[in-house]
Parts: sequence; C-alpha cells; structure tokens
Amino acid sequence: MFTNFTLPEFSRTPFIFFTGKGGVGKTSTASATAVALADEGKKVLLVSTDPASNLEDVFGIGVSLKPVRVPEVEGLFMINIDPEAAASDYRESVVGPYRDKLPEPVVTQMEEQLSGACTVEIAAFNEFASLLTKKEVIDSFDHIIFDTAPTGHTLRLLQLPAAWSGFLEESTHGASCLGPLSGLGEKKALYESTVQALSDREKTILILVTRPDESAIWEAERTARELNDIGLSNQRLLVNGLFESGSDDRVANAFYDKQKAALASIGSLFKDILVLKLPYITYPLTGVSALRSFLKGEQKLNSDGGSQDETRSLPGLARLIGDLRHKSSGVVMTMGKGGVGKTTMASAIALGLVKEGKKVHLTTTDPAAHLDQVMKEEGISDQLSISTIDPVKEVEKYRAEVIAESAGQLDEKGLAYLKEDLESPCTEEIAVFRAFADVVERADREFVVIDTAPTGHTLLLLDASSSYNKEVERSTGEVPRAVRQLLPRLRNKEETLVAVVTLPEATPVLEASRMQDDLKRAGIMPAWWIVNQSMAATDTKDPLLSVRAKHEWKWIERAAGENENTVVLPWFTEKMTGAKALMNMYRNEVR
Amino acid sequence: MTVIRVYDPAMCCETGVCGPVVDPELTRVANALFLLEQKSIDVKRYNLGNEPQAFVDETLIQKLLEEKGVDALPAVIVNGTVVKTGEYPTNKELAEWTGVREDELQPEKKEKDDLTLF
Repeated sequence: MFTNFTLPEFSRTPFIFFTGKGGVGKTSTASATAVALADEGKKVLLVSTDPASNLEDVFGIGVSLKPVRVPEVEGLFMINIDPEAAASDYRESVVGPYRDKLPEPVVTQMEEQLSGACTVEIAAFNEFASLLTKKEVIDSFDHIIFDTAPTGHTLRLLQLPAAWSGFLEESTHGASCLGPLSGLGEKKALYESTVQALSDREKTILILVTRPDESAIWEAERTARELNDIGLSNQRLLVNGLFESGSDDRVANAFYDKQKAALASIGSLFKDILVLKLPYITYPLTGVSALRSFLKGEQKLNSDGGSQDETRSLPGLARLIGDLRHKSSGVVMTMGKGGVGKTTMASAIALGLVKEGKKVHLTTTDPAAHLDQVMKEEGISDQLSISTIDPVKEVEKYRAEVIAESAGQLDEKGLAYLKEDLESPCTEEIAVFRAFADVVERADREFVVIDTAPTGHTLLLLDASSSYNKEVERSTGEVPRAVRQLLPRLRNKEETLVAVVTLPEATPVLEASRMQDDLKRAGIMPAWWIVNQSMAATDTKDPLLSVRAKHEWKWIERAAGENENTVVLPWFTEKMTGAKALMNMYRNEVR
Repeated sequence: MTVIRVYDPAMCCETGVCGPVVDPELTRVANALFLLEQKSIDVKRYNLGNEPQAFVDETLIQKLLEEKGVDALPAVIVNGTVVKTGEYPTNKELAEWTGVREDELQPEKKEKDDLTLF
C-alpha cells in the first residue's frame, strides 16, 4: 500500500523540510536522512528550528548557532536555530552599542522591551531566512535539511514571510514589530526570496511525517493543506513506525488493529501525495549506527538484549486523582511535547475529578488538540464544562475590543493607523494569554484542567506571562484582575498543579526533564510526571513489543529520578476517543 | 513652523497598543500627533526600543536621562526646548505650542448613519 522509504525521493532538492506533529519522529527521520545523504558523499547541513531541539540527544554532541561538524559522518554539519538564543544574540546586537552611552536603567528598559515574543519570532526567522538565501551557505552544501518545530510553531514560522511581505508592503508608518530591524527594504527582499525558495518545487521538498495514529494523520493533512496554500506544494507523506507483526498476542493485535484503523483514511486524505513508510523499531534512535539501521528498515538490532528485566510497579492515575481528593478547586495543567497524550491525560484527570464529585472545567489552548475527538460525548454530567481557546478567534476578539475602546478617540485615519499596529505578530501572544488568564480565574470556584500546547509554545506562553506581568505593573491602562493574579497563582503550589506528560523513550524523557528545569526557573515545580503509553506496563509477550518494553525501564527509572511523584500508564488497547473509552480507562486505572 | 520631537519610553510598537492593556492616553497622543502631521507640523517620535541613537544624539535628552533615568520619558522638545517630561502633553498644550485649535485635535465626530426611514 505504501512505498518503502528511498533516498532518491529526497535527493533532488537542496532544501528538505520535515514537519509534523510533535513526537512523530521528525528529528529521527531528518537525522537519518541527513546521515544517509552524507554517506552518499553529499555535503549536508542539518538544521533544527525547534525551541526544544533534541538533535543533541540524537547525536550526543553539542549543537550551536554556528555549524558543527559531526565527527562520525563525513560531510555532515549541524546547526541549531534556537529562537531564544537567536533573540538574545539579536538583543545584544541592538542594545550592546548603547551600554556605555545611556544610563543603566535606560538600557535595562530597552532590553526588557526586546524580550517579547515578537523579538524571538523575528530573530528566529531572520536566522532561518538567511540560511535559505545566503549564497555562501547554499553554495557550501548540497542539501540543507530542516528538522522543524512542532506544527503550530512551524506554521507560524513559515507563514511569517508571506504575512510580513504583505505587512511591509502595506505599511506606511514602518511596521511596529519590525521597527527594531533597520533597513526594512533590505529585509523585505530577504523575506520575499525566502518565500520564493520555499515555493520552488526545484528547490524545496516537504516531508510530512506522521505516525499511524488518527490525530497525527489529521494534523499532517491540515499542515499539508495550509502549506500548500502558502505555496509549498512539493510534498511527500512519511508514515513512521508501521507495525507489521502477526502474532497471537492480545496487545500486539490491538496495536496492529489500531494502526490499521488509523491508516484507513490516508488514501482519501492524501490523494495526490506519494506515501512512504518506515517500520516500527525496537531500538532507541540515538547514535549514528542506529540511524543507519533505521533507514535500512531493520526492526531489531543484534545488540537488542534490552535493559534490566525489571517489573517494579509504579502507581498509576489513581494516585494522581487521590492527591486532589481533599481539594475543591485549583488549576491542573498537563504539559509536555505534542504527541505524548496531554489531551487524553487532561481529559482523564477531568473525568476522575468529576467522578470524585468535583466541579470541573476542561480547556485546551493547543490548536493541534482535537479535544472534541477525545470528548465526543459531551456533558458527562453537569459537573463538567468544556471549552477551547482558539488563537484565531482570540485575536479577532482582542482586536475588536481594542478598536472599540479607542474608537471614541479616533477619526478614520487614526483608526486605520491603530488597526495596522494591531496586525503585528505580537497581538496573537497577548490575545491568547488574556483568554488563558480568564479561564484560570474560574479556578476560584472549581477545578480548571488545562491541556497546554506543545513545549516550545508553552514555554513562550509562560515566558510571556512573566514579562507580561512586568508590563502590567508599568502600564497605566485598566488591568483586568484575571491578568494581575495569573502568575502568582501559577506559582502557588496549593493552587496550581502541573503534570509533565512523557513517554518511556529517550527523547521524550530528556525533553520533559529540560521542560521541568525551565518551569522551575519560572518558579513552578511540577507536581507529577506521567509516563504514558508504556508497553512495559502491559502484559505483552509479542517479540517486538516486549523488546521495546525492556528498553522502556531505563527511561521509567530516569523519570522517577526526576520527580518522585511519577506515575506510569499502560499503552491502552482501546481507542482513546469518547467518554466511554475514558471511563473504561478510568475504571481500569482508578477503579 | 513648529518642530516637535517626542521621545517615547521603550514600547513594543510606536503606538504602544501591543501592550497587554491599551492605554487610552497613548491612543489620544498618537492620534493628536497624527493630526498635527496632517497639518504639516514637523512632528517626529522616537522610541527608545527602536531608535536609541536618537536619544544619544540629542544632548538635552542625554542630560535628562542622566538626571532622571527612564522616568524622564516620555519627553517632548518643541523648537529646541524641553517642554514636558515624564508624561505626554495634553491636547491643550499641543494646541498652544502649534497654534492649531484644540478642537481640531479631536477626531471628527462620526456622522450618525442615516437610517431614519420614518
């Protein structure tokens, strides 16, 4: 039904993009492709644009903003566009020259202003654009491979050139957010040629990576459509992790059936796109030799002894619900990378709380989350209400509000001027944040369970909240109470409980650990870790799955070391959609 | 010909509407200055976040910042004299400095939509 993964599909264009929902294996497939092309004698640059990049985990060497040579692979170089780092470099380039010319508090204010989401976005995009258009970079490599960020972020990054080209053309006052970038004309040309390179089929190929699971496939389809609209029409679909084992094992059969059911819709969703496949593998994709085996389609490695054959039991979801039993209100947030099951976990926790007789409001800020899919049957009881924070709608609402507030003060022209300023990318961050603050305020009276967006976005959101609070303190306008109380509330262990959701694999655990560090820096200590979708917690005897299960223990132990309140959930044989499936899971888990 | 130079504190945008809360004061000032520009008054605004060089080049502003730090901002210079620090000028002040009538700095009241059919 699908074509085997072959290099010729990838070796025609200089720019190769991997995109897809978090956790589908973008980094592994991009890295493996980079190694394979380099092994063919090509000069390859592998670029990560993910704020939570894990190239370092895959290759075991540090990655920076400057290209680094991969010692084991001739001709392979790596670079990491970490938006935060790019932004701080950029900030320094603007502020640095004035450190000795202006008083310190003045310089501090400048720095603070350049710490917003806008600056991060611009700085990252600049790096990105210059790689795509810098002659010396293009000339030094046969291929530049981008291991892109989780989808929402990727889309933003890729939509910027289109959006901003328009913005710059229409702008008569100099675009607000682009203000700090002098020489707009020059930038405009840069952004335009970036857009051109992206939509040139001779130059760019886009690999939509997906797993054989429904939500990842929908996500890939949505991305395919959106990017096609922007002009990236040279696309392939790569189904990663196809399980083709036949055995009489209950778990293996359920695993196979679930995949098959999910894949049923591919034919109709991706009519004109070539579909490639890579097998389900038992070994972790760390190190160059594992990457080489992976692309050859090897499912097992000879060294596959697995780790210790451990059967230590760890608490499940019941423990987490139990911790909340004595409370009547609060904020519960599930956090983690896309694809680890944050939505399911948030839904399960909400349900558990409802079963305990609590009043609960469940919400999601993740545009990629299909909450309605997980909760097909709404209104389990009048104890539960559900909402979604849709960034697009929030921005509309925010703009309308600002314009209404100011309309009395402005004439036609003034209003046009204001509207133009509201077109800036900053606006979205602010609008979403206000909506988030409003929902959290409900936690005075009930439980609010929030399913957050993927890592990079979540961090930006929290980051925005701290600079946002500073901004609020300085502002002279009317500050909504919800906003004023937000960060102190998020930092209060009694009021806010964060569950970091991860999978029993190398990259997710390492990422979760970095995420926990980031949260700690923001003054938030996660209350629990949830290790989700564990094969080790099932009774599988399947040859492939049980090897995989053995490999999991190392990472379950590691998680427990990171946070003593670690709970482990088995891979569920049932399809996790609808309240019924959640109820069954709840009964099995919590009873 | 009046020359007005406004030195804003660092704001994400020129009009400051990117902030978490829209300050109506900023909107009023942006609009009033915009209207003055329409009347060919020489108006320029500098934002500390975007154009720090302008703050360095103007010795009057340099001196203000040395003395009061960022609290001196916003600062307004009219025809080479510092006339306002720490807050934005009122429409009345703008009118006095430029000779433009104060009511001309207000947005025109929009005509009611003519929907009186009866």
